[in-house]
Amino acid sequence: MIRSSEFAESFRIAVASLRANLLRSVLTTGGVVVGIFIVVLMGWLIRGLDSVWEQTISIIGRDMIYIDKWNWAGGRNWRLAESRKDVTLDQVMALADRMESPEYVIPMTRQWGGSISYGSKSLRTSIVGTDSDYGATPAGSILDGRFFTSVEDQQSSNVAVVGFGTAKTLFPDESAVGKTIKIRDIPYRVVGVIEKRGFLFMDFIDQQVFIPLRSFRAAFGFQGRSFSAAIKAGNERMLDVVRAEAVGTMRVIRNVPPHKEDDFAVNEMEAFDEQAKSIRFWIWVVGIGLTVLAFIVGSIGIMNIMFVSVTERTKEIGIRKALGARRSSILMQFLVESTFLCLFGALIAMPVAQIVVAAIHTIATSVYDFEAASAVSILIPLDLLGIAIFVSIIVGILAGIIPAFRASRLDPVEALRFE
Amino acid sequence: MAEIIIDIEHLSKVYEMGEEQVFALRDVSLQIGNNEYVAIMGPSGSGKSTLMNMLGCLDTPTSGLYTFKGQNVRTMSDDDLAEIRNREIGFVFQTFNLLPRATALKNVELPLVYSGVSADKRRERAEAALDSVGLGDRKEHKPNELSGGQRQRVAIARALVTSPSIILADEPTGNLDTKTGQEIMAVFEQLWLHGKTVVLVTHEEDVARYARRIIRVRDGLVESDTVTT
Repeated sequence: MIRSSEFAESFRIAVASLRANLLRSVLTTGGVVVGIFIVVLMGWLIRGLDSVWEQTISIIGRDMIYIDKWNWAGGRNWRLAESRKDVTLDQVMALADRMESPEYVIPMTRQWGGSISYGSKSLRTSIVGTDSDYGATPAGSILDGRFFTSVEDQQSSNVAVVGFGTAKTLFPDESAVGKTIKIRDIPYRVVGVIEKRGFLFMDFIDQQVFIPLRSFRAAFGFQGRSFSAAIKAGNERMLDVVRAEAVGTMRVIRNVPPHKEDDFAVNEMEAFDEQAKSIRFWIWVVGIGLTVLAFIVGSIGIMNIMFVSVTERTKEIGIRKALGARRSSILMQFLVESTFLCLFGALIAMPVAQIVVAAIHTIATSVYDFEAASAVSILIPLDLLGIAIFVSIIVGILAGIIPAFRASRLDPVEALRFE
Repeated sequence: MAEIIIDIEHLSKVYEMGEEQVFALRDVSLQIGNNEYVAIMGPSGSGKSTLMNMLGCLDTPTSGLYTFKGQNVRTMSDDDLAEIRNREIGFVFQTFNLLPRATALKNVELPLVYSGVSADKRRERAEAALDSVGLGDRKEHKPNELSGGQRQRVAIARALVTSPSIILADEPTGNLDTKTGQEIMAVFEQLWLHGKTVVLVTHEEDVARYARRIIRVRDGLVESDTVTT
């Protein structure tokens, strides 16, 4: 039975002892401060990552399926994919003709590292040849200007739609629309800029430049080039139906015998989900590792100082016992004190973490000037602070238990004699 | 004889010093009744400190019987002993044993913390106890702001605050000058006159003379037990 009067007394002692030994206490809680700091920062980072990721995916759309020669994820299938025949434009067009369930089937091909320039500035990026339907998907939604039209596609017009990142690089202070850029030294008129969509490892999405397929052929040729079909299912629930139809139709088009595996890849946004999950996982592993390390160091520090505290106050323990303190009273007194020390550490760590979080947020927002940054909170979520406090209480109890137990078992006669 | 508070029969305490057994107390028997004023005397090493620890329920005997108000102390657990010390025994030590960082009031409140008395009641009772030893104007002073005599008065107030069955004072004037010592002894006299049971442990004849019964201890044995007038 623990009496509330004793608990209040323990708390009072803990506060008094902290105040009496302020410098010692601050130094002692160092490990705990670092641990709490990492826990909070890691939680915030993962939270932010999830939310930005969700935003990116939702802009591009979870209802997209890409029929390709190459698998997006899975390096182990690289040899297998290489041995496949290219997916031809005719096959993609046939797929578009025959499929009935999806909203759009859009042919695409890509030139990696194509050079583009504007005035003295130049860069290498991914040039995508596609048709006007791409502009109707969320992935092609326009920030400024317009997407190219089917007429421009048929006429093989030299018009280009640039990604947000490329527009920023080539036209930092002016509108890209109406300017003429050179792709492989061929002049193209920029008609539109696509909204910012990618972040971090998906950044390349915003570097892409889109030109009509026919114009692409004139610039880069179709020889030895594999195409992909970007299929927009319409909504997520249709995904299974559309996937089944796409696979079935493509097998017929490519004459895959019934007993053989598909000789093409079906890529979906999930491939990126895997990537996001693995980044998330590694943040956890590193974060948990560092946290555990910090807390081990921290609790050794706390335990050590608690042993010192018990020794210093042997006489006091003797007096308290003589006056009627039971074992549980003394045990609680020292547990409250060690827990209080840890909470004190958390109290130091949390404002520091908040300052760092705010700084990261400010820097990230200014570097990316990206709406997605607003999905990440500038304040540490309250539940994370709750977790931090909970963890520090647990660490306090674990670090304090042995010294507190030792104190509670002291013989009052011996303790009273201690000077 | 009045109601018996302490009843000791054939009590022995043995310490193991390596191979050797040292008898701190050998077969001691005595009784202390309500409102007695007893001095336990003896030179150092006589076993009087051990006896005092036994009487104060700070330590348990190796053999024999110790009955405190009808309860068998020898078989009590640590926590039972703590509870009996809290409720029934008021300690006054030679070195005062006050908590240095706490005020006089907080020091006196301390035993009540462990009996689960609410903060308001604690304050009330502690103030009354300090008033009764003449320290009503020193409540918020810390021990290092008080003289030796005042410190010992705080300690007496602390011993009184739980209204214990006995006051157990171990060399209460040992760290005080003669005059202050006499003042403190006057306080004990008053307590006794007001119906308290007082047990002094001392090696000074002058101090023992205040008591109405003197138990002399030597080599772990009761040498004499005399009632004075």
